[in-house]
Amino acid sequence: METYLWITSIWGVYLALAVFIGGMAWRIYQWSTTPKSPVRLGMFPKPKTKVGRFGKLMKDTFIAPQSAKIAPVMWGFAFMFHVAALAVAIGHLHIVIEYPFLPELLGEEGMEALATIAGGIAGIMMLVGILFWIARRTFGAYKNLSVPEDYLLLTLLLGVVLMGDHMRFVGNLEADTYRVWFNSILALKPVIPVEMIGSNTGLSLGTHMLFTDLFLIYFPFSKMVHAIGAFSSNLVRSE
Amino acid sequence: MDAQQLTTLTGVLDKKMNRQLKQYIDICARCSICKDACHQYVGTGDIKYLPARRAELIRQIYKKYFDKAGRFVPALYEAREPDDNLLDELYDSAYACTGCRRCMYYCPFSIDTAWILSVAKAILIAAGRGNEMLGQLADAAIFKGDNAAMFEGVMLSGFEDISEEVRAITGNPEHKVHVNKEGADILYVALAGAHSIRPAAVIFEEAGESWTISMFEAANYGFFYGDTEKARIITKRYIDEAVRLGVKEIVVPECGHAYRVAEFFYEAWSKEPMPFKVSHILEKVDDYIKSGRITVDKGRIEGKVTYHDPCQLGRNGGKFEQPRDIVKAVTDNFVDLTPNRAEQWCCGGGGGIVAMEEFKDVRLRSGIKKVEQLKASGASVLACPCENCRLQIEELNEVHGLGLEIWQVIDLVVAAMPLPGNQKKAAEVAE
Repeated sequence: METYLWITSIWGVYLALAVFIGGMAWRIYQWSTTPKSPVRLGMFPKPKTKVGRFGKLMKDTFIAPQSAKIAPVMWGFAFMFHVAALAVAIGHLHIVIEYPFLPELLGEEGMEALATIAGGIAGIMMLVGILFWIARRTFGAYKNLSVPEDYLLLTLLLGVVLMGDHMRFVGNLEADTYRVWFNSILALKPVIPVEMIGSNTGLSLGTHMLFTDLFLIYFPFSKMVHAIGAFSSNLVRSE
Repeated sequence: MDAQQLTTLTGVLDKKMNRQLKQYIDICARCSICKDACHQYVGTGDIKYLPARRAELIRQIYKKYFDKAGRFVPALYEAREPDDNLLDELYDSAYACTGCRRCMYYCPFSIDTAWILSVAKAILIAAGRGNEMLGQLADAAIFKGDNAAMFEGVMLSGFEDISEEVRAITGNPEHKVHVNKEGADILYVALAGAHSIRPAAVIFEEAGESWTISMFEAANYGFFYGDTEKARIITKRYIDEAVRLGVKEIVVPECGHAYRVAEFFYEAWSKEPMPFKVSHILEKVDDYIKSGRITVDKGRIEGKVTYHDPCQLGRNGGKFEQPRDIVKAVTDNFVDLTPNRAEQWCCGGGGGIVAMEEFKDVRLRSGIKKVEQLKASGASVLACPCENCRLQIEELNEVHGLGLEIWQVIDLVVAAMPLPGNQKKAAEVAE
């Protein structure tokens, strides 16, 4: 168990972060050093002012109202997944720092309830989104459009979320334990707390991190780069 | 495929690959939200017309040769070489696409599939698989540009005939189609055929406009064919003419792609700023009506009138309101199609597809959404400022028995003008 955790949850994290950051930097460098299209590719209606363009960019990227109109079901699942992913990301900050004022406000039990309910709901929402996408790509017309990359990414995400949900609903480790582990990584003095090694939840964490590492490593080389590319491609719409 | 041809095809892809294309290819999530946006996919259910699938073919080649991850694990992306199978599918995907960009409108990342397919056409042309009909039409236009003197006699005699018709409509013996008029304010670049010139001439003359007609037509088959150099040369014919005559403004006719080519593409192709203001004729007509330079009466047009936004003029050209204002100025009985403006369904006739017999079946099937819209509107008259749209909708009209009268907007305007000779539909005057 200890070796497994060291590989997936210490060294794997370093490797994944290095590849992820380097890969994304390389991707952005590639894009920014390729000459822009000489033809204005915008479409109408387009805002006339810079502020208007920025507003439209934000709306198109975060809400995608046009997509919602034409494909409400797909948009619904996608929107749910992304909102849940954002909530989960905020929730994960808890393993980096103690939230500033929430604990005083809610108390220890209140915090636990918030994490369980909000984190639980978000975790389920992500799971539902992934299962919808897998089903969508496995049955129907999308099967023919899908390539192995799509299934690989969904499998990795499924692993990340399933193990995350397992820790949330079944696991018995305190947030403090995760915080010690994660901060030790950030401080470049990695340790694995004994509580982790002694708990079955440690295995869930190790597997959660295994999938997370692989997901982050593959991220810059996959269609996941839409996470940043969507901003500039949506901006072109107003050019 | 031999090595030399492979090098040529991948070289074309490499040369065409700009930042936007790279991003489109890198970020498409194959979510298929575009499927319901495409009239061809909706009309046929054939996956080769699904916009993301069309783009996927270019992505497969790109991943195979230009993307590190794709070269490392090609199977992950189904990366493959541009073999005969791929090129066959690419041909259907690219040349059937009407370039309406409705998929881009609905895409959460605004991916311009039509732009990706312009690369597809460049690859097909390099492989000797460009559409023959479009290529021939483009070459014919270039030939005319190179041998303008050869066509002059027949053109001048045609303009004289049209002048007669104009005088018959307006009742003014001074009115005519101005030819080679140096120092005119406007060069009107019409389409081939009197129908595009006669009503425009009536309107220009009645408005007291300083104008002259181009010896060349605004249609650009080089653009549809996918050869930017041919397209540039075809456009340059009337740019040079405008320079020679010293006009201030180029006015393009009721043609979707002609406006987009002049306003959005020519500068990029020629790498020079467009030396003229480019206007669509309906901008001018709208201005004439609003400023009182021409008079139109409501009540001369019978029946409920609707309006179809040609994709290149509306979603891709930004001209939504002026044409509607014109139609509303000639009738109180106007009904819009649903959806309309930026969400307007493509009629299925753009991109040169009406000239390609091999796509007739998919073209007619892809018009089903337009047919539904037209039926739901309850209109008996359709105003449509695009030649390709009109050709397609006229065929749909016949096949589906819609009983529509299909008009150019400028014909509606002329019919609504209190002129002695326009008691009949202007288009019928010449017949």
